[in-house]
Amino acid sequence: MMDAYKTFFEYVGIFFIIYLIGYASFLFLSVAVGSSALYQTKRRNRLKNELLGDYYVPVSVIVPAYNEEVTIEASIRSLLALDYKLYEIIVVDDGSRDNTSAIVQEVFQMHHVNRPIQRKVPCQPEEAVYEAYNQKVPITLIRKKNGGKADALNMGINASKYPYFICMDADSVLQHDSLEKIVRPVLEEGNVVAVGGAVRPANGTKIENGRVVSYHMPNKVLPCMQVLEYDRSFLAARILFDKFNGSIIISGAFGLFKKSVVADAGGYDANTMGEDMELVVKLHVFCREHNLPYRIRYATDAICWTQAPEFLRDLRKQRKRWHIGLYQSMKNHRRIFANTKYGLVGFVSYLYFLIYELLSPYIEVFGLFTVVLAFAVDLINVPFMILFFFIYVIYSAVLSLTAFFSRIHTIDLKLTAADVIKAIGLCALEVSCLRLILAWTRATALIGYKKGKQSWGSIERKKIEFK
Amino acid sequence: MKVEIVIYIYGAVCASMIVFNIIYNILLRRREVLSDQRYGRIRVQLEEQFRRIRKQERIGENHLKFLRRKLRRVNILISYERALRVVTKKNPKEEVEAYFLQVEPVILYLAAVYSKREKMQAGYFAYFLSEYAVKKERPIDSMQKVLLVYASKDNLYCRVNALKALYHFGNVENVIAALKIQDDGKIYINQKILTEGLLTFQGDHDALIHRLWEDFSSFSDHTKLAVLNYIRFKTGDYKEEFYEIMTNEKADKELRLSAVRYFGKYIYPPALDHLLEFVLDHDPSRWEYATVAVSSLGRYEGEKVIQALKDAIHSPNWYVRYGAAQALEAHHLQYSELFDIVNGSDRYAREMMIYRLESQAIQAAGGDGT
Repeated sequence: MMDAYKTFFEYVGIFFIIYLIGYASFLFLSVAVGSSALYQTKRRNRLKNELLGDYYVPVSVIVPAYNEEVTIEASIRSLLALDYKLYEIIVVDDGSRDNTSAIVQEVFQMHHVNRPIQRKVPCQPEEAVYEAYNQKVPITLIRKKNGGKADALNMGINASKYPYFICMDADSVLQHDSLEKIVRPVLEEGNVVAVGGAVRPANGTKIENGRVVSYHMPNKVLPCMQVLEYDRSFLAARILFDKFNGSIIISGAFGLFKKSVVADAGGYDANTMGEDMELVVKLHVFCREHNLPYRIRYATDAICWTQAPEFLRDLRKQRKRWHIGLYQSMKNHRRIFANTKYGLVGFVSYLYFLIYELLSPYIEVFGLFTVVLAFAVDLINVPFMILFFFIYVIYSAVLSLTAFFSRIHTIDLKLTAADVIKAIGLCALEVSCLRLILAWTRATALIGYKKGKQSWGSIERKKIEFK
Repeated sequence: MKVEIVIYIYGAVCASMIVFNIIYNILLRRREVLSDQRYGRIRVQLEEQFRRIRKQERIGENHLKFLRRKLRRVNILISYERALRVVTKKNPKEEVEAYFLQVEPVILYLAAVYSKREKMQAGYFAYFLSEYAVKKERPIDSMQKVLLVYASKDNLYCRVNALKALYHFGNVENVIAALKIQDDGKIYINQKILTEGLLTFQGDHDALIHRLWEDFSSFSDHTKLAVLNYIRFKTGDYKEEFYEIMTNEKADKELRLSAVRYFGKYIYPPALDHLLEFVLDHDPSRWEYATVAVSSLGRYEGEKVIQALKDAIHSPNWYVRYGAAQALEAHHLQYSELFDIVNGSDRYAREMMIYRLESQAIQAAGGDGT
């Protein structure tokens, strides 16, 4: 029996060494490339290697809203304060049960119109359309039958007038120059079909007229750890994938898309929970299947501020939703895996998301289980295990901090000593504790999952302080 | 033992990352301090030079020496530019002009130096030239020749800034030469950037357009489109030329569409029949021509036009219906004249027309419908 255990643990050991070397190498590569790209961008901006003229690509900003009466007014006001001239705002109320529509109508003096909306992509029917032309840019409000966020975005695409659209969340705030920055890749390259913006937790940040007036690490521990996690996992990794046109996710909180290509690809899939990732993978598939030259870019300096969940309950809900969305997208497009037709997207991006995102919670939970089992049968070297865990925590924490400081340095934010201490203190906690909690959350996300069952995530909303 | 090696490697990576973070942070802070100090010193120097100019004296030889020697370092050039921005704002235009006239040899020398530098630095110098050293009143030939070198660099920003500077000089031949250089296919410059740039040209637009048209066939379709759009914004004197493009079945689709738009801005009776032909063409693959043509018809009078627009509003294509409704709205027809549409049996046509009329009413009333 003991021999069987030994053989088992030997194989488990080999597997985890390969798994961790893969993860550590990816983490190192992404943080090194990400940081270097951020410093390079800073240098480029310092040397004015940027398009400084008023080149405006017309953009439709689509704001899907469901029960957003607390945040919707501030959200629209923040959009009206953007430093951009040629855009329209389309608010799609996806059958809210609260006063979302009533507030928008009243505050922005909107008028009912009998507007015919074409159906380029499928969506639930509209119930009423309102328009206002008394603001800086035209605002359209569409009240429609509930169909989920993807369905609401499809309605926005159908109603939009301009060739590019932006998807965002109703509880997010775009930085004053974010539209200008997110359209820049479109001006710089000919075949750009989508651009991802940088999403940052707004907790602890004071924003006035779309400008950051003071930046601090959040007071609460949970959002503080998410700030570090965002920089390590999202910022750095996305920059790396951007280097070889391999981004397969653009956050639903802020992304720019070429409308004609999205419509030709069929728009958002209303049957998935991760409509943002699903759309980007679909664009890769569509463009490659039709031999269309294309680029999917990531704009590190196009910033969207969003409220990170402050309670573990909300964070777990959010991550469960993300994990189900990831599972659906990967399952729907499994044919791209290791398919030469999809190049590095099939070999690197898909493989990374499969092993280190989709399967990682199961692998990590399995790892913990084998540790307990090995301890029970006395086949573990406890001091070495502790040393190994310690090294793992330090390694991940240092890379988190590198990504975090790279971002801070390159956008000229000033941190207080307390913020620095908080970041250094909490990065180890994030890697050692929060990561395990979220691994468990994601590992159990698919329990009770039903195909086709979609709903809006319900995270406790806080009023956005927009001045 | 093997696992220990892995641990050592991780440890080494951690240590190097920590060292990198600390050193970079120190360097960054030091650079900021140095940059501020440098900026302060250069600003004092510049203010002194402007005092001399005010007293009708020449600027100091030491200042020229300083510029020639030190501005070869890009960090110092950045500080100089920063100080220049502040000082030039505070002084009268004539004095600023006098200053630039005297430092021109140095700037020419630096232009040659930076043209050989790596592309980001060259891009920065092109920006510097476009912002400061370019005045229509001082069209220095040698400077423009250097700018043509910058326009050929494999750096988008370098090319855009060099073009910007050349537009400011207002020399037709150099702009034509630069447009041909950028058309080499090495670097993509968005057609919008080219059109917007041409619109900022400080010389004789008629002369530029005339020369552009002479060399039109030598440009790629991408640049041709930018040129057509520029001409559309500037003059209605090229109707025959645009008519030829619009009616040329072999011409690029975007160029033909641009020509159709031209006739929406400038009325040209001979083009009317062709516009009507586009509108009445029900081939679904040619819907873009129909869409642009209906919009252009908004400015043409006549029963034939109204009838074509009324037909187009029944199109199965949403964009054609929308354009037709907008064009009918532009004709300011009476309600009775639109009666057949707003009370007709085609729901799609009816909805579109009613929507446009409602929307027009809201906008006419100041946007809020009151």
